[in-house]
Amino acid sequence: MAYPHAVEHAEERLSVNRTGLWLFILSESFLFGAALSSRYYLQGVERPPELNQLLGLGITFVLLTSSLTAYRAERAAVHGHLPGLIRNLAATIGLGLVFVVGVIIEWYEAFHYFPPSTAYGTIFLTTTGLHGFHVLTGLAVLTFILFLGRNGRFTRGNFWPVEGAVKYWHFVDVAWVFIYPTLYLVR
Amino acid sequence: MRHPGGLAGDWGRGWWVFAALIALTIVEFGLLLVDMPVGLFRVLLVALNLADAWLILYYFMHIAQLWRGD
Repeated sequence: MAYPHAVEHAEERLSVNRTGLWLFILSESFLFGAALSSRYYLQGVERPPELNQLLGLGITFVLLTSSLTAYRAERAAVHGHLPGLIRNLAATIGLGLVFVVGVIIEWYEAFHYFPPSTAYGTIFLTTTGLHGFHVLTGLAVLTFILFLGRNGRFTRGNFWPVEGAVKYWHFVDVAWVFIYPTLYLVR
Repeated sequence: MRHPGGLAGDWGRGWWVFAALIALTIVEFGLLLVDMPVGLFRVLLVALNLADAWLILYYFMHIAQLWRGD
């Protein structure tokens, strides 16, 4: 009768893992909350007219699309569909890299029009830098998961690393959902 | 959390959520182009953002697992 006990233990472990990750995500959201509130404290709702609105909208679309592919990868892992997992993880990483290129362009323009010596420049570079760092760590984790997946590490019922990495990636997306209007749209 | 309809059903749901996210973002951006009272603009912006975030949290991150336990 050892087998039912092992299944029960695995389910309990999964539940504990999920709770731990959600607590981590909650703690991270305070960090982003502080960065966003500093925007209103230091700059009010003013924003420079030189902001590249189309670039902001474009990288938002890219990140939302990467959330779709990340979701597809996670569902493929749940259903034990290895090709779907690999394909969608690779697409997520590719889209994440496109987002990073967008942020680099964003920074190049920021240094030109509103450098760090200005209040808005400080807020803009700090917030997008903080978020960009999370994107880079997310990309590193997803790449590692892709490597493990290609080696057949994940099977139906054994997908927690994929779920954890994808949840983190979605969190990076949720953070951007609030950063984008705070930096680009609010008035 | 496994839904009826298998992987194809799950992936189909993903497309609908994605379409809603894109639509909300376009509406959000479109608010910039519409002349409206600042108060209304801010209320709409916050509402659209919360809707966006909830879609990701509920459908993509499966936040309901926390209280459903599945």
